Amino acid sequence: MHVEEPEITRVVVADDAVLFREGLVKILEGAGMAVVAQAGDRDALLAAVAEENPDAVVTDIRMPPTGTTEGLDAAIEIRAARAGAPVMVLSQYVETRHVARLLEDGAGGVGYLLKDRVADGQEFVDALERLVAGGSVIDPEVIARLMRRGRNERELDRLTEREREILAAMAEGRSNGAIGRDLHLSPKTVETHVGAIFSKLGLEPAADDHRRVLAVLAYLRTT
Amino acid sequence: MTTRRWVLVGAGVLAAVWVLGAEWSSIHAGVQENHLLDALVGGTFIGAGLVAIDRRPRNAIGPLMVAFGAISYIANWNNLGTIPLFPTLAVVSDMISAALIANIAFVYPSGHLSSRLDRIVLWIVYGAVGVTTLLTVLTFPRPPAGCDCPWTPLFLPNASASSFFYDLNQKLAFVLVPLFLIAVVLRWRRASGAERRALRPLWIAVALLAVVFLISGFTPSSPDTTSDPFAYLMWELRGVIAVAVPILFVWGLLSERLARSAVGDLVVELDKPMPAEDLEAALARTLRDPTLQISYAIGGGRWVDCDGKPVPAPDVDDAPGVTLVERDTEVLAALSHDPAIEPGLVQAAGVAAGMAIANERLRAEVRAQLEEVRASRRRIVEAGDAARKRVERDLHDGAQQRLVGLSLGLRMLEDRCRDVPGVADDVEALQTELRAALKELRELARGLHPQILTEEGLGAAVESLADRSAVPVRVTIDHDERLPAPVEATAYFVVAEALTNVSKYAGASSAAVAIARSNGSLLVDVTDDGAGGATIGGGSGLLGLEDRVAALGGTITVVSPLGEGTRLHAEIPCT
Repeated sequence: MHVEEPEITRVVVADDAVLFREGLVKILEGAGMAVVAQAGDRDALLAAVAEENPDAVVTDIRMPPTGTTEGLDAAIEIRAARAGAPVMVLSQYVETRHVARLLEDGAGGVGYLLKDRVADGQEFVDALERLVAGGSVIDPEVIARLMRRGRNERELDRLTEREREILAAMAEGRSNGAIGRDLHLSPKTVETHVGAIFSKLGLEPAADDHRRVLAVLAYLRTT
Repeated sequence: MTTRRWVLVGAGVLAAVWVLGAEWSSIHAGVQENHLLDALVGGTFIGAGLVAIDRRPRNAIGPLMVAFGAISYIANWNNLGTIPLFPTLAVVSDMISAALIANIAFVYPSGHLSSRLDRIVLWIVYGAVGVTTLLTVLTFPRPPAGCDCPWTPLFLPNASASSFFYDLNQKLAFVLVPLFLIAVVLRWRRASGAERRALRPLWIAVALLAVVFLISGFTPSSPDTTSDPFAYLMWELRGVIAVAVPILFVWGLLSERLARSAVGDLVVELDKPMPAEDLEAALARTLRDPTLQISYAIGGGRWVDCDGKPVPAPDVDDAPGVTLVERDTEVLAALSHDPAIEPGLVQAAGVAAGMAIANERLRAEVRAQLEEVRASRRRIVEAGDAARKRVERDLHDGAQQRLVGLSLGLRMLEDRCRDVPGVADDVEALQTELRAALKELRELARGLHPQILTEEGLGAAVESLADRSAVPVRVTIDHDERLPAPVEATAYFVVAEALTNVSKYAGASSAAVAIARSNGSLLVDVTDDGAGGATIGGGSGLLGLEDRVAALGGTITVVSPLGEGTRLHAEIPCT
């Protein structure tokens, strides 16, 4: 009988703070992933990605030389070269604008988390795995803000409280099953709600994953 | 009367003798012409020239006019036929008089040439006229034998050559007159307002001379009263016009004297208090020079305009367009004006306005100091912003990174001692504490200077603030472009402080931020539907912001009636 070897996730890690980078590497390796390259700035990151073609990239947003949004720019560049390439962007601060830029290409596989979340260990690893599977992960703080902002927006007014809750969970990249478990709903009920959200937001039937991203985008664009 | 005046009066008497003697010579020789008119034309030139020498001793126009008038009578004297050298001089004076007129026109009214072109044209005129005159004289024909004629130089006597050169000299007018007119027109075109006014008499004179030229061309030189009365009339008219030209020149030269009476009006006008810019306007009016500017010397070699703004030091070393206003050897101000205005006139105006200028200088000095204070306030704000940015960066790259790294280390430690009872819980507690510290540090660093403000500007930063606010905030911004960093930072901190107050004190259910640009200012409005009753002074942190806004030359107002919400309005100039 042929036993299929479990595929090891190959990751490139970028951060100019060595201490943090090494900690991150240890956590990823501890979770059975392979860190195939490390980078300290934008150019090194892009070079490493071109060379290794990794399954996922984890990058800090603020790196040399300008210390502004190098990681974010690199993420967009990487995903422009390979649509949907999973990239996790980490930041000391979360900014809604950054998320909007990351989600702009409409493809899945993007993550945006506060740096602190890395210390959650397994949860962070789970999030990265969801990314590799084509989902998206947005920091709960961004979602909380969007929910607050959503209260003011007409388009989202049409959503019920429950639907907004589910949309928020979708934005965090959770699957219907996971949402159902969190909110104590049956997968069937979640599916109904998701369908209602899509139709209320005017999203044409298409690949389900893509519509999920578009729904999140609708949140981010209501400014 | 001064000695110089006596000399001039003596010269006038001599000139009268010269002119009257010349006419007597003509009458004696039986020459048919209007002797009175002839005496008037040249006499007026000499008289006007002497007046010009008296009033403008350093101006070359006076001597030139005297010379022109005087030499025109050599031909009359020559009618006696007994004075040696006069036949030659009569020809010479006849041939060069046009060049003298051109010279007068070119140096009018200042007495010196104003451009290279004028210099070249004048050289050509003198050169051409001089050479042909010299050649005519050198080839002057020998008088007939037995004639009791006065001596004339006889170097290369040749009647046909001499008359050829004489004709050539006369025909030069066809080239030189247009050349002269072109130079005069070009001079008009580059002339400033005051210069043009001064050149007006010259234009009239040139037009009159053209008429004279035309009349001379179409009428015989000495028409008969009875055979051709019209030609005779024209000929007389030519004489009258010729008399008008020197009078016109002298009137133009002396008209600056008339302008001086305007200085008197200025004194009356300055007696009333007036705003600073009106002093400049009043002086400009008096001197009829709209370009006039006053720069005030405020010590330390610094110069400012009437608003106290620094201006480059005027060229005080005797530059023609700059006149210093001094008091007790101290330089108060410099008047920059059209160089064509007579310096004495500007000086007179400067003296008349001396008190007002001294007052204005003090005001300008105070304004300059105010301007300096304002600039230094702005620099302090900018330095503060730079320091905040630096600290934020240091925190981000230092403490925050280390703490996040530490947090990862703790997580790994927790994994390793999961099985040791008690320890795992302790590590978990530390982890929670560390996370709280990180959050506090993040808020602190963000409050210092948000990175997104530098990265993406005011709009993104304010939206981010609104996102964080506990009270729902609607944001409207009418522009997308970046503004100067101090303006963006100030507007940001105003909104941040206002939104903090909304959450803390107002008890509002919603708030709105509106940012708009209008007339070079950034208008920031933060409104809420809360309890109202807010003031700038009430420990709200707005007082510091008021200073900050004022440092950029802006204002901040709060309208907050009890129970009717609060409206904060800030205007920040975008410079």
